Amino acid sequence: MKSFKAYFKKEVIEAIRTNKYLILFTGTVLWALVNPLMLKLLPVIMRNYVTPELADLFTYFNRDNAFTNFLGDLFEMGTLFIVFTLMGLIAGEISGKKLTFPYSRGASPAGMVLAKYIHYLITINILIMIAFITNYFYVCCIFTDGILSISIVLKSALLYMLYYCTLLSILIFFSSIFKRSILAGITTLVLGYGLSIFNQFKTIRFYLPNYLLYKAGDLLNVFDSSLIKTAIISACIIILLVTLTIYRMKKIDIS
Amino acid sequence: MIEVAGLCKKYGNFEALKSISFSVEKGTVFGFIGRNGAGKTTTMNILTGLLKFDKGEILIKSKHFLKNRRELSKLIGYLPESPAFYDYMNSYEYLSFIGRIISSDNKNFETNIKGLLEKVGLKKGGKRRIGGYSRGMKQRLALAVAFMNNPEILFLDEPASALDPEGRMEMLGLIEDLKDEKITIFLSTHILNDAEKVCDRICIIDEGKILVTENLSNLYKTHIQPIFDIEFEDDPEDKVDQLKNLGWVENIKIERRRVSIYVRDLDTAKKEILKELSNLNTGVTSYQIRKSTLEDIFLRMVGKNEII
Repeated sequence: MKSFKAYFKKEVIEAIRTNKYLILFTGTVLWALVNPLMLKLLPVIMRNYVTPELADLFTYFNRDNAFTNFLGDLFEMGTLFIVFTLMGLIAGEISGKKLTFPYSRGASPAGMVLAKYIHYLITINILIMIAFITNYFYVCCIFTDGILSISIVLKSALLYMLYYCTLLSILIFFSSIFKRSILAGITTLVLGYGLSIFNQFKTIRFYLPNYLLYKAGDLLNVFDSSLIKTAIISACIIILLVTLTIYRMKKIDIS
Repeated sequence: MIEVAGLCKKYGNFEALKSISFSVEKGTVFGFIGRNGAGKTTTMNILTGLLKFDKGEILIKSKHFLKNRRELSKLIGYLPESPAFYDYMNSYEYLSFIGRIISSDNKNFETNIKGLLEKVGLKKGGKRRIGGYSRGMKQRLALAVAFMNNPEILFLDEPASALDPEGRMEMLGLIEDLKDEKITIFLSTHILNDAEKVCDRICIIDEGKILVTENLSNLYKTHIQPIFDIEFEDDPEDKVDQLKNLGWVENIKIERRRVSIYVRDLDTAKKEILKELSNLNTGVTSYQIRKSTLEDIFLRMVGKNEII
């Protein structure tokens, strides 16, 4: 618990001083603001470059389209921002020999890993929730029509939060395995983006965390029983990878 | 206080430590000296729990180190050769961070921090970010980290290497003070002059093997070979060769007019040498007994001294 508290406070200081909060905010909340605005302005911008008939295709966006468009962009850009910001979470500590003092004074690897994971889990979840609510209000102000409601938005946000908890556990695990942060980042991105392909296969998509994203965009039926398997599997992945990261950090040579 | 028996460590096929054994008594300064790559830092990293080892046994305060690592880590302070910090923190924040890991008593370490920074001469720079520190300042901060929570054992890896001459003297003074406080110090250094000044016991390691572990005074008695340096007015040529036949002379090295005579028995040599030199019938311009140092012993031990 002592190590957990020490590292949690350290992560807060680090995130403030190295602008990690700001970068993560840009990758999530700012996106929620910019996305509906861009959609609204797109027809106006396009009119100068394409024929009026083609430009008209961009004019009809209702609230639902705008929100799902935001979800897609958040997945693509938000994941990129989150992974590249946090890829050095453990790899950076190992390669920079930052663990020498804490480990030599009896720091607990479990406390360290959990503090890092929980700190960014809270940060990302708060930012996602803010982003979704912000986007909802913006979308409601700018667009009309559609079935979008605050309850749908909150349900979608919960699914995105669970997805990013899983992605964070994958990232923290690879960050403890690879000495170079960039390798951890690229591997996580490949896995994160790559698994979305399986959303096209009805038989296996329930078993992969990316199904959470698919269901988040299914506005007519966000929560259904098909999510139980996915949620359980995602939770198992989180527990397994965080445990493996702790085990790895217990066995690692710090020198 | 520290007992190490048959310690082995391999990096792939490379044997960094080849079954080393030694013991360190409580309240002493144990000098661990050796060339680069001899295995000093590896030994220190193992003893501070940062590195796993392949074979052997380590006892600290008669407790098995592997089984009681977390508990024993609280008694240990470590100053690594190249300390790394979080550059965005200042000294107070970093020491608080380490303090929180060691102790749950916040008030205790918060007051301790000010004293520590004053002790290592960092009180002025305490609020500045560590990223802007010089190497010497970082070394001082590392020392403060090592001192946190009043450790019973201190591992110092090249503590004076990044310090200016004044800082080096302060460091030696500090080690002397700690010795008075009965803190056990395991000191690895290249500066043999420093080891000579503060160490009670010396351990020489080379290529992963311990060559000697001895009290400093015994080391001088058993390993220092008296040398007479004599300078002649003219090149003595072959005349000094006849000295080799004397029973108390072990070896002679001639460099133009300067002759070094390595003797087996200092007392006999003192009595006989002047007589023998006068028999050579060559003018002597200077004559002195060379005071051998730890450096001489070290060089001879690691096979660098070509004379002997």
